[in-house]
Amino acid sequence: MSERTVRIAGLAGTVAYGALVGWLYLHQPQTLAQVTGGLTSAVGAYRVDQRALDEGLRFFRNDQFVEARMAFERADPAVRDPVTQFYIAYSYYRQGWGRMYSDDDLYALGLQAVDRAITLAPNGRIVVDDENLGMKSAEELKAELEAGLRREMSDFNPARLLRERK
Amino acid sequence: MTAVREAVVLPALLLTVVLLGGMRLTGDVAFVPPPLFALVLAVLLLATLIRSGALAPERLVHAARPPLAVVNGGLVLLALFLASAQVFHLVTPESGLPRLAFHVFFLVLLLNTWASSPDRTRLLRSLMVIFGSAFVFKFILLAAISDPASGRLQRMMLVLLDGVTLGTLTQQPFHPALGYVAFLTLALFLAAVALLPPPLHRRQLPDTHGELPAQPTAGELVEGERLERRR
Repeated sequence: MSERTVRIAGLAGTVAYGALVGWLYLHQPQTLAQVTGGLTSAVGAYRVDQRALDEGLRFFRNDQFVEARMAFERADPAVRDPVTQFYIAYSYYRQGWGRMYSDDDLYALGLQAVDRAITLAPNGRIVVDDENLGMKSAEELKAELEAGLRREMSDFNPARLLRERK
Repeated sequence: MTAVREAVVLPALLLTVVLLGGMRLTGDVAFVPPPLFALVLAVLLLATLIRSGALAPERLVHAARPPLAVVNGGLVLLALFLASAQVFHLVTPESGLPRLAFHVFFLVLLLNTWASSPDRTRLLRSLMVIFGSAFVFKFILLAAISDPASGRLQRMMLVLLDGVTLGTLTQQPFHPALGYVAFLTLALFLAAVALLPPPLHRRQLPDTHGELPAQPTAGELVEGERLERRR
């Protein structure tokens, strides 16, 4: 092999390896699935498991939120799909919603998930066309979760008892 | 230096050090970038390597070399800088008094080594001792006194020690595998440093009392590379 070939191959390998190291530092993947998913999504080849996603949606519509999240996580093991992350956030919202008060822990997890979804979405915009949902965009969901986590005078308004889950 | 060493072996070793040097295992895996002080120490280490003759930058980036070789050499220098920063980051304790002490220790040692200007072999030995001692201190001694899973007597001693030192000595426990990863990282780094190209020749400069290596001319460099390859 000529010296020039070795140098070009070495340069390409170094740039690729350096990009991988930089990507790992930037994205902090926790599992091998996240590493492979992140790399495949970088080249536009990442796909969610449609069957698991459909199962998750079925659980979600039956108000089986823990089961729904397990299915969603199976559908998007690399945490790269904004719509699946949106549904995960929505499941935390619905599970944590209460007429008298909301569950702060679940809302906080929902907020993390919706932030993740916004980060993953192109231009940060997610609109889900699902008639079952009262909030179809990530902005509405995020605002609702943030409002649930805030302590304010309106929390003591008796009219809150009449509100509906979205 | 062969093209394989410059374009393949050194970048691969050094980038692996960059990758493993910032890896932290505490239940989850995290990749932590080096702190600013590690960058300062890395600059000092590079200066020391050049001054002692362990690294001749003109053999990596020089106007007389072909452009492709200069790019390869530039990447080696960049990777060496990042790997040096991550190695200091790796062997420095994570918090408290030991972290501060290690920063001062590394700074003084590097300045002293730079000022004494040892030759290449002595510098490599010195680096082995510096990083080896830091490794033993952090991953064996500090890890042992910060281990929460040890016996009852040791836990009582740990509470006493925490009280006496106001909690500044003990560290957050880390995954046992991190010590092995750190050992491998240090070995790879020292191997990479040993593989760096030394100067082709050193001339005594009359106005510097022979302290600095002279810069070869472009012709000398090309001729030297050719002769070395032939050897």
